[in-house]
Amino acid sequence: MELPIRLSKDSREPIYHQIVNQLKALIAGGQLVAGTPLPSIRVLSKDLEISIITTRRAYQDLEHQGFIRTSQGKGTFVAEIEDATKQQVKISSVYQTIEKAVDTAVQYDYSLDQIEEIFQEVIRSQRSSRKGD
Amino acid sequence: MKTWLEINDLQKKIDDDFQLGPIDLHIDPGTITALVGNNGSGKSTLLKLIMNLANPDMGNIKVFDKFVYGQDESWKNQIAYLPQTRIGWNAYTGNTLKGLTSPLYPNWDDALFTKIVELFDIPLNKRYRKLSQGIQQKLSLALTIPRNTPLLILDEPTSFMDIPSKKQFIDLLVDWIDQDERAIVIASHQTGDIKKLSDYLCVLQNGRHVGTFEKETLTERYARYWISDTLPESTIPGEVSRENHQLISNNPATTEKFFTENDIAWNNRSAVDLEDIVTYLVNKGKEG
Repeated sequence: MELPIRLSKDSREPIYHQIVNQLKALIAGGQLVAGTPLPSIRVLSKDLEISIITTRRAYQDLEHQGFIRTSQGKGTFVAEIEDATKQQVKISSVYQTIEKAVDTAVQYDYSLDQIEEIFQEVIRSQRSSRKGD
Repeated sequence: MKTWLEINDLQKKIDDDFQLGPIDLHIDPGTITALVGNNGSGKSTLLKLIMNLANPDMGNIKVFDKFVYGQDESWKNQIAYLPQTRIGWNAYTGNTLKGLTSPLYPNWDDALFTKIVELFDIPLNKRYRKLSQGIQQKLSLALTIPRNTPLLILDEPTSFMDIPSKKQFIDLLVDWIDQDERAIVIASHQTGDIKKLSDYLCVLQNGRHVGTFEKETLTERYARYWISDTLPESTIPGEVSRENHQLISNNPATTEKFFTENDIAWNNRSAVDLEDIVTYLVNKGKEG
């Protein structure tokens, strides 16, 4: 199984961190349920075109945080995680996405007031399109 | 972790124009190291030195803690080497070659041999010299990988193979190294091998060891900037190359510091492809 992980090599976020965050999102979002086998470090490294040093670091981080577990000789699996943790991952992923959007706008020289206006505009158009459903 | 292959201060003078080394290199279990460099950079010579097929002028090579030129040759059972050209195979069929090879290796995996033969559709009843260069490489791999030695050394194993075969080869090696505690050293010009297989890149340039780099440490060290202003004529700290409004740096932190201090606006920073990085490393060697 090839995991739907998309690395952005242009991002300032370190590669191992991108893997950790995306796997956490897949687990918290329920796309990867507890017990799902994950690719070996070597196979994931091949798929993502990175070294095993980077992949191992990501897996160790995820294991440390309780998202995955490794059993000797059997491989790596998605761990059982609590609902509170899932909620935490979801909320922090929403925050990160919005923060990233704000960063992009700032890079294009928009003021924070202008960004707020854009944000409200997006919310308004979402509201009206959802009403139409 | 114990090092399986240890090269210290290795030097070998080939002629007045070419000297290999000094090279220091360690290969640890579980890793894949790609040997990259321009043509004639000394990759094959380095592999021959490891296999004790040539004598160094200086320095040491140890495989599983044994000097390769020592009396104790037990290390030879723990290493499988696929040279670029196979001498003395021409007159034999694949079947005969397998009969000659397999008894020499106690861990020979016949099922794996059959799997590779079927995967690549290799005719075993034709003489080696009658096979195309691509098929010769496939047969050579089928006669090398199943030796199941902990250390596997491959010299340009896929240069004549077609694109689907190269992909199958990568999957085959990934599967093989995952089976047990193993390590691979592969000399290659193939971008796919370098990107998909390697953990470390050992870069050689005309015999000079430019360095051995962990892949992400290397890619994260390079950045491409798009500059809206005109660049100063003097070389910018970290500058590797420039073209119009584009600057490549191998030290983004100092380059960005320089931009800030000199009020130079840059509107985009992106990653540099591994292939380009290798090119910069090898070209830099030429000047120095």
